[in-house]
Amino acid sequence: MANPIKPDKQVVTTCAYCGVGCGFKAETHQGRIVRMIPWKEGKANHGHSCIKGRFAYDYYVSDDRVTTPLIRKSIDDPWTPVSWETAIQHAASELRRVQAKYGAKSVGAVSSSRCTNEEIFLVQKLARAVMGNNNIDNCARICHSPTQFGLSATVGWGAASQHFDSIMQADVIMVVGANPTEGHPVFGSLMKRRLRQGAKLIVIDPRRTETVQSPHIRADVHLNLRPGTNVAVLDSIAHVVVREKLYNEAFVRERCEFDEFERWAAFVASDRYSPDVVGPEAGLDPDLIRKAARLYASGPNSAIYYGLGVTEHSQGSTGVMCLGNLSLACGMLGREGVGVNPLRGQGNVQGGSCLGSWPHVFSGYRFVTDDEVRSSFEQDWGVALDPEPGLRLPNMFDAAIAGNFRGMYIMGEDPVQSDPNQSHIIEAMRQMECVVIQDLFLNETSKYAHVFLPGSSSLEKDGSFTSAERRVNRVRKVVEPLAGYQDWEIVVMLMNAMGYPAKYAHAGEILDEIARLSPAYKGISFELLDRIGSAQWPCDENAPTGTEVLHREKFPRANGRGTFMLTEYVPTAERTNDKFPLLLTTGRILTQYNVGTQTRRTENNRWHSEDVLEISEHDARTRGIRDGDRVKVSSRFGSTELKAKYSERVGSGIVYTTFHHAETRINVVTSDLSDWATNCPEYKVTAVEVTKVAAEGAQKRAKSKTREEAVTA
Amino acid sequence: MSQTAGHSDQIRPSRAVPLDRLIVMSNQIADFFSPYPPARRAEGIRNHLRTYWDPRMRQDLIDYISSGGAGVSPYIVEGVRLLTSGEDKKGYYGPPKA
Repeated sequence: MANPIKPDKQVVTTCAYCGVGCGFKAETHQGRIVRMIPWKEGKANHGHSCIKGRFAYDYYVSDDRVTTPLIRKSIDDPWTPVSWETAIQHAASELRRVQAKYGAKSVGAVSSSRCTNEEIFLVQKLARAVMGNNNIDNCARICHSPTQFGLSATVGWGAASQHFDSIMQADVIMVVGANPTEGHPVFGSLMKRRLRQGAKLIVIDPRRTETVQSPHIRADVHLNLRPGTNVAVLDSIAHVVVREKLYNEAFVRERCEFDEFERWAAFVASDRYSPDVVGPEAGLDPDLIRKAARLYASGPNSAIYYGLGVTEHSQGSTGVMCLGNLSLACGMLGREGVGVNPLRGQGNVQGGSCLGSWPHVFSGYRFVTDDEVRSSFEQDWGVALDPEPGLRLPNMFDAAIAGNFRGMYIMGEDPVQSDPNQSHIIEAMRQMECVVIQDLFLNETSKYAHVFLPGSSSLEKDGSFTSAERRVNRVRKVVEPLAGYQDWEIVVMLMNAMGYPAKYAHAGEILDEIARLSPAYKGISFELLDRIGSAQWPCDENAPTGTEVLHREKFPRANGRGTFMLTEYVPTAERTNDKFPLLLTTGRILTQYNVGTQTRRTENNRWHSEDVLEISEHDARTRGIRDGDRVKVSSRFGSTELKAKYSERVGSGIVYTTFHHAETRINVVTSDLSDWATNCPEYKVTAVEVTKVAAEGAQKRAKSKTREEAVTA
Repeated sequence: MSQTAGHSDQIRPSRAVPLDRLIVMSNQIADFFSPYPPARRAEGIRNHLRTYWDPRMRQDLIDYISSGGAGVSPYIVEGVRLLTSGEDKKGYYGPPKA
């Protein structure tokens, strides 16, 4: 159908909907976006797009957009619209009041992977240089923090080793805990293209996802393991690689710490990681584990792509280390077609990780505890900085309940909806004396906020995103910010009101500061990105247009060698029992994005208007549940209601749902367990029971119980 | 050893994160480092606490261990000993390693 509206302007920008980072030409007519055209020169998408990037842009003109700053004294009061000046002054004086009353470390800041690199960097600066502490975190805490930890421990950098196009040289593709056809569709299509050319596919996932079997695709090996057994299964694959001597000894001797390899090899070769032992525990045929190991090691080019199914576990960091170990042992790093690649959920998770929105590292993954690094920031910023790591996001909530944390600035995040064990977070939020939220819409978290600063969408601002392939892409302002300011401008106003002089003429000056203070971004500037389109870090004098494949000659570790970590399998404390006999795992669907804040406000919502509980017909029938019945899902933490859907994608004993709709409140159910190293929540494993809701109950809107009610029930 | 840390009367209020949470977190860290030889295990734990934990969380753990440390893994006790023995000054503040 011909487009009835003829665009009068075209701006090339980057989609914010996932870590692929597709380039789009945003077309406007009289200041309003009328079309998003996939950009042929986009290095990640080459003119392709998915259903979100192409169509789900209208949220930016949703009637729900807040366009005036709001303040209130208590969270029980109604909001009062005020001027920008009043709101900023109020936020600044309240945060300062809380600090004066409870101490400098009683407040903190949280940024989001929906923000640009420039904004994430500035929010870090707000916490460190203005609030004067390192209580700064970002939402990668709850998705890919184990990636940074696990990959930096083994291969040196917590980032994808490859560019997306590298997959076209892969002979064996191993997808672990990810579903690219739903979560990263444009990359998923590229992967399918390579599979149709004959590449072999190993999928490790409890669900029989579309990646396992769909038109033109059939995995050669599908390890549909029990949720929570990743580390055991990956160690078992390593066991086969070592016992059958399938590893690449020449690579290990030349590129790795050989004594660490020997220690690791002896560790995984232990009988306890034999497929005959691990298979039954993980619910797998031991021969399938052997087949996966042999296939991966045989290559010649084997590439690993993984997602939150690896990281969101109490052993998330260990699972990532397993992948690093395996790729080093088999020599699957340092050239095209191989590698270890995290698939990032949100548009700028990689940027969020790179740019210092962490309590322990500055931008460029450099430690706040390192005197030399810290002094370079102190010189640039002109203030003394805290030499100690700050609180992580989940610890901020813990500290709030313990009485030691009372104020927060949150940009673009909705932790009450997206973080686990919702009752605990609500209890924490109620303790706060000053919560400042900067967002497009009022959300679950703003119910507990005192100041609301209306932010701008990625279509309304300038900056950059760093995609999952380390590619820094330009974000360009397509339309004017609806509430008057780009997000980075609002942070600058808040910094100034809190007494720190910050001044930037445009977002490019913030990127210049990033480049000055972060070695991997040294050569990146708006000028470079405008000239060559995009650049993958590291980008510096040795690689003036960026780097597609990492680790070609050495690993970014002190001695240049990759190393092996011992990865003992420790079963999660979350276990099934008679009361909660099923395992709930969560994920995404193609048409919706994350907590749905944006996509639910577009026509995309028609494709997936509610979250449903996928359950095997066997488990459903034994509970008297019919397809489409409303059911209650209960865990030790709480319960919620949603509609059941018979599914062949989940095996008996496992149920699955998405988390795109706030009313599902699935995070009332999820547990408080988290990764040992990073506190990334264990979203992927919660023991639950599912029961049919009586007819009259089904008429009511899903109503959730608090933890206390659930315990006594 | 069966006493639940968070409910002990002798425990002072936490400086940041509740003590029962700190004990769970530190015991998970001990589990990870358990396959390493004793010296590296202790150093790995010390490095992790030093590099990733807010100092108030560290201090609460140190205090709790010196008051008996019920429920805390002995591996953590070894790692914390390095934190407090002054060797911390030479500690490793970098990417994770054991």
